[in-house]
Amino acid sequence: MNSENWYNESLPEQSRRNFMRMIGASTAATFLGGAPRLLGADDVKHPQATADACILLWMAGGMAAAETFDPKSYLPFEVGTQVEKIISTFPAIDTAVDHIKICKGLENIASVMDRATLIRSHVQADLGSILHSRHQYHWHTGYVPPQTVAAPHIGAWMAKVLGGRNEVMPAFINIGQRLEGFGESEEIKAFTTGGFFGSEFGPMNLPFPEEASKAVQPPSGMSADRFARRYKAMRELLKNSPRSEQLSDYHQESMLHSLDNAHRLLGSKEREAFDLTKEKKEVYDEYNTGRFGQGCLLARRLVENGARFVEVTTEYEPFLHWDTHENGHTTAEKMKNQIDRPIARLIKDLEERGLLDRTLVIVASEFSRDMMIEGVPGSTAKDQSRAKTDVIKEMKHYGLHRHFTGGSSVLIFGGGTKKGYLYGATADERPCLADKPVTIEDLHATIFTAMGISPKTVYDIEKRPFYATRDGHGKPVMDVFA
Amino acid sequence: MIHFRSALFLVIASSSLPLAAEVDFAHEVVPLIQKHCIECHTGDKAKGGLSMDTKALLLEADVIELGKPDKSLMIEVVMSDDPDEKMPPPEKKKVALNYKEIDVLKRWITAGVPWTDGFTFAKDRYEPPLKPRKVELPKGAAGANPIDLIIAEHFKKQGQKFPEPADNATFLRRVTADLNGLPPSAEALVKTASLSTFNKTQIVDELLANKEAYAVHWMTFWNDLLRNEYAGTGFITGGRKQVTAWLYPALLENKPYNTFVTELVAPDKNSAGFIDGIEWRGEVNASQTTAVQFSQNVSQVFMGINMKCASCHDSFVDRWTLKEAYGLAAIYSEKPLELTRCDKPTGEKAVAAWLYPELGQIDASKPKPERLRQLAGLITHPENGRMQRTLVNRLWNQMMGRGIVHPVDAMNTEPWSEDLLDLLANHLVESNYDMKAVLRLIVTSKIYQARADVIEDESKAYVFNGPVRKRMTAEQFIDSVRTVVGVWPKPDKNAFKVGGGQGGQLDVVMKTHGLQKWDDRPIRTAFVQRDSLQAVLGRPTRDQVVTSRPDQLTTLEAINLANGPELAGLITEGASEISKIGKPDDMINRVYLTALSRAATTSERDIAAQILGENPSPEQVQDFLWSVFMLPEFFYIN
Repeated sequence: MNSENWYNESLPEQSRRNFMRMIGASTAATFLGGAPRLLGADDVKHPQATADACILLWMAGGMAAAETFDPKSYLPFEVGTQVEKIISTFPAIDTAVDHIKICKGLENIASVMDRATLIRSHVQADLGSILHSRHQYHWHTGYVPPQTVAAPHIGAWMAKVLGGRNEVMPAFINIGQRLEGFGESEEIKAFTTGGFFGSEFGPMNLPFPEEASKAVQPPSGMSADRFARRYKAMRELLKNSPRSEQLSDYHQESMLHSLDNAHRLLGSKEREAFDLTKEKKEVYDEYNTGRFGQGCLLARRLVENGARFVEVTTEYEPFLHWDTHENGHTTAEKMKNQIDRPIARLIKDLEERGLLDRTLVIVASEFSRDMMIEGVPGSTAKDQSRAKTDVIKEMKHYGLHRHFTGGSSVLIFGGGTKKGYLYGATADERPCLADKPVTIEDLHATIFTAMGISPKTVYDIEKRPFYATRDGHGKPVMDVFA
Repeated sequence: MIHFRSALFLVIASSSLPLAAEVDFAHEVVPLIQKHCIECHTGDKAKGGLSMDTKALLLEADVIELGKPDKSLMIEVVMSDDPDEKMPPPEKKKVALNYKEIDVLKRWITAGVPWTDGFTFAKDRYEPPLKPRKVELPKGAAGANPIDLIIAEHFKKQGQKFPEPADNATFLRRVTADLNGLPPSAEALVKTASLSTFNKTQIVDELLANKEAYAVHWMTFWNDLLRNEYAGTGFITGGRKQVTAWLYPALLENKPYNTFVTELVAPDKNSAGFIDGIEWRGEVNASQTTAVQFSQNVSQVFMGINMKCASCHDSFVDRWTLKEAYGLAAIYSEKPLELTRCDKPTGEKAVAAWLYPELGQIDASKPKPERLRQLAGLITHPENGRMQRTLVNRLWNQMMGRGIVHPVDAMNTEPWSEDLLDLLANHLVESNYDMKAVLRLIVTSKIYQARADVIEDESKAYVFNGPVRKRMTAEQFIDSVRTVVGVWPKPDKNAFKVGGGQGGQLDVVMKTHGLQKWDDRPIRTAFVQRDSLQAVLGRPTRDQVVTSRPDQLTTLEAINLANGPELAGLITEGASEISKIGKPDDMINRVYLTALSRAATTSERDIAAQILGENPSPEQVQDFLWSVFMLPEFFYIN
């Protein structure tokens, strides 16, 4: 054995064909009925895609429409005001589109409204008891939990059906949500997965955007050189193993392919997309309203470098962020401050780079909020306001503290959708119910259609047909497409 | 502003158009064809030349004109008033289709007869026997393991050769991992070198006699099956209980399987967590109430029956019906249960009932504890061969890498050898339901001890050809790494918690063994709460029953093994232990022997020496360890 040789050899090459085969080969967990199998390949016609990439900006915890994108009768804070008279706690402001007004605090987004489609009639199921994580599971998978099989996240559907946009960049990346260390974290994990497609199609989780580069770097304290050398050493040991005859076994072959893929990403130029320090300071500063803003910047960099689906969340943590059970006005003001600048800048950056037309950006939340109504009128859900009162006595009473599922707003940009367009509305007076309601399955059908995935795409799992939208029933809202 | 929006409202409202009514093949069409047509138009029967087995056959029969219901013979005959022409034939006393059903068929034809790919109305021909069955053993050498006699006969019929034996060290590593979840000890390895000291049966018996190592290892398998985890979904609202305090002692004392099942189905407070399922907060889909979870989980785990389909509607894939799914659920339910079809109440009340009335029945008038005892008695009924076949098939799958019936939860599927399945099932019963006795019979067979099959193309139809390589579970992998480097985790405070709820798993171990203090006993991964490294290595969240783990490594998992802080941390800690060995050569010997159960070859030794250098730095030791742990030879049980 020549002592110089193996140190200087290049890393094992791998053909694109091999790589694609590996990605395509389902490495899913073996389930009750075996691995999922694509059904109805002949019957399902995928629509022509109008978008190649998708960014979901997730307003975790229940963003109140009347405080953000659907202004209603507004009354300022005043001790003694009857709560039932207030619907919005922010006044309306003009946007770049004459007939669309949104709420104060979103001035930057207002300035790019001429690139947006605003849906004001998104509705959610009433699940009896409001548990954010259940509604988030429903929103992210299209299925109400619990399910007898693990439902895949919409990002996993895109990863499975469309695959990555290039050879190295993970198809599904999830930014900003920690998965440990708070109540309901197990419930959040339940939908932050590839579901029955298996972890090959699950998310790469990057809870802290500023540390994202670590996810694609050698372990801390290891130089890139040493990292590459270590992998070569392993391959060299492998090559000299007396057990090499076993390597043609598919289990072992697939393990080596996965290790190759991992090392290829970690040695690629795309890796730099994860590193926010590579961004110009003024750009970084404009995005940097905190982790969400940094996440938007990271999402832009990842999509520029070939990510298929990126979710950026304001992060769900019970009773924090958009989860306003008291002090709603003050909290909403802070949250808007966090999202307004980075979202607007993201849209402008994508546009400037010529990417907006083929990148679908969605701003959404698991449900809306109201000052009076829990769920929808007639719901049996328990009132969960922590600032119960009929009359405003102090600031903590002022805000939207109850979970409302009868009408919320979804903002969409790019990816073949109309510009400066308004779809649906909610009533001006309480209960502010949606007209032309868009359910989660219809919204998913719309998103999937833009991405070129039929809402009826179906896989067989445990001998049950499982569709991209519930039972294949989702219908795209075709009006929003340009 | 408000006025303006109202005007806009009208404009938008007028732009919406009604969508054509669509049809749902699985939920609308299948049930009605099953109800009205298949008796005469599937399988061997194809009355009037019409078979509805597949879409192609149906279209061939020319009873449908695609897209044109009014021109389709099928619609004409179901609507006809002429008794000679009408379908289904009135003389067969079949009920005619109602207008709603006819509408479904019309919509189906209008939509071009959408059909779920691969779906067939033809009945699965194979109907597994329920009762135990005696096996006539083929003739062979006296004292031969009966498994080998059956398999030799099977290979002869198939024109296959009996595979060569694995070498001693490979066998030792395999059987130690399979029975105790650990790599073999250095003492055991030394004996592999010499024929005179290497006694496979003795090794097996020692591993099975190591009660603690055996029980800890099998916690992984049973925790998956019984959905038992130390933390997770449901605990937050008190809607879930562990069975740890029952399970660990049960495995330690190798509780007979019929008792094991009885105590889970008709439980005391320590074993109730399995049948009580997970109570979710808020309203849940009718197929996920705790009573229906009971129906699904009990039938899946103990009987290899998929009741998930049938708990929403009569199953399209096997014989089970909604009524049967709810019959089982009603055994558990404290309150009267109403059958709910696809989340819509049917008005029909469920009656507590068991699936195979030929073995006996539940007395629905009895209170719940008595009903559960009756059910336990029926599942463990000596004539219910399904229970033991389901278990021994799972054990075979654990040992051999693939079930005799596969997938292991679809016990209605034909086994590749009925004799082998029944041999093992009978062995369980004859040994007084001793699970270790079945494992012993398997691992002392020549076929278990054969070299692992090399399967190059996983998409090809599977043909049995000896043991299939198994990916180490998260627990096996981490325990093996820890054994090699000699580093074990610090106990987590939560694991010593007393009083139910989350955690407390090590308190169970202490109580079981009568320990006052944990001291420095190694904590094996089966008793560590699931963390991100274990997740990467395939440990499931256990909010659903899981009966097998993923067998391949994914890219995202590989990224985590390449740079994740957990494995890196473990290796860093381990490297400082290994460094104490001093000389590189000794390190290589130790790591190769403990990790791979063999010595390094000369060329491997050269490479390892280059990685380590003459005076290995901590980094060099870390890189060497990582390289060995990432070898497929380590990662898989070969």
